[in-house]
Amino acid sequence: MIRINDLRHRGLEIPELTLDARHIAVIGPNGSGKTRLLEVCSGIEEPGTGTIRILGRSPSSLRVGWVGEFPDRTLLFSRVYDEVASTPRFRHQPCPETERMVMAAARMVGIGDLLERRVASLSGGEKVLVALAAACAGEPEVLVLDEADSHLDAVTAKRLRQVVQESPAAHVLWCTQSMDTAAMADCVIFMEGGRVRYSGTPEEVFEILKETCYYPAIWRLR
Amino acid sequence: MRVELGEVVFGRDGFCLRGSGTFGEGIHLVSGPVGSGKSTLALLLAGLLTPDRGTVRRQDVKSVLLLLQFPEHQVTAPTVAREAASWGIAPDEVLALAELEERADDDPFHLSRGELKRLTLACAFIKCPDLLLLDEPFSSLDCETKRWVCGMIEERGSGTTIIFSHEQSVLPRVDAIWEMEDGALIGRGSVPGAISSWRHAPAYLTYALERGAQPENIRLSDAREALCRIRD
Repeated sequence: MIRINDLRHRGLEIPELTLDARHIAVIGPNGSGKTRLLEVCSGIEEPGTGTIRILGRSPSSLRVGWVGEFPDRTLLFSRVYDEVASTPRFRHQPCPETERMVMAAARMVGIGDLLERRVASLSGGEKVLVALAAACAGEPEVLVLDEADSHLDAVTAKRLRQVVQESPAAHVLWCTQSMDTAAMADCVIFMEGGRVRYSGTPEEVFEILKETCYYPAIWRLR
Repeated sequence: MRVELGEVVFGRDGFCLRGSGTFGEGIHLVSGPVGSGKSTLALLLAGLLTPDRGTVRRQDVKSVLLLLQFPEHQVTAPTVAREAASWGIAPDEVLALAELEERADDDPFHLSRGELKRLTLACAFIKCPDLLLLDEPFSSLDCETKRWVCGMIEERGSGTTIIFSHEQSVLPRVDAIWEMEDGALIGRGSVPGAISSWRHAPAYLTYALERGAQPENIRLSDAREALCRIRD
């Protein structure tokens, strides 16, 4: 359960929002506050005013896995293995446990063949998968994806969706510009001007957005 | 005006790109999975990489412009207006087209991802080069802005536009489709004939083809019209 009350933070204004769903898609125009919402929900930023409770706790006390749109800005290490291992290492996990977590995350994401590669030699999409593996290596309670699918082809995006579905995370917060991806969520929230305009099931929200381009392409053909 | 690839081979870090083909005037779409070599091909066509073997020949191409996938890699000036001016064009025109008039004095890195992309795209469209190479022009953009990009691409009256993209929902009308597969460039041919053999086609096109529809082009509206024709 995610509960937001009286939130005001750098352009965000959410008086009250309760989300009782595992997979939550966050959609809306560029600059509508989607990333800002993900940042306060993941504990990266503390809200100016208001409260956010996820699983009954403050976001900063949760294990959060974050996958951004521009992995070049967040990848820290030059070798893929070290990048994925950074999550357990920063948590002071012993070496055998780190090894186990890296291998499990690499297997889950399907990047076992990339572990010895230099990060600089990877394509943009491969870097997103490495960032996803690093996020999953922390066994997150909340998995946050900030337009992580923007630079992925259909096959890799499908793999990303599978990993997200199979992840044991209690909540997935996924900001995406792919309405076909958003349509697979349990809950969709549409943001505009820092506010949550609509929230509900994909059917409910997309029915309201039917006359806009924020409507799943494949649904148009039904 | 055209760009010819003659048995090009380019290798790096265990990856090898191979390809031959001619990109004539019009709009070309190069699709393919992540890591298949789309960006490398763009760099070769732009002349920023030299093939190990084979040739890249540009015939009657007087100006070339490549927009990189990540727009921040192309920023060279400390303000939005000076960034526009650095392209050799009037900032006012760029800012109006990109709808960034209010942000003229801001640091380009303070723009949102979509805004920065809009800025570089506006610069490219105003420059209007003979050969325009767009590496993932739709990524980071909301659907309204993707439509704007499609409109700008379609409105380019002349020249060769090559789009490297895996976009799956908002696409412009194109003249030819190419695919990259494991480093190999494969020409699918002219549209609409090429659509049925396009392996990485968006789901809405595949949906239409599976039902026997024959879209005239690759846009969602083309798929809808084709489906309407067979339903009527």
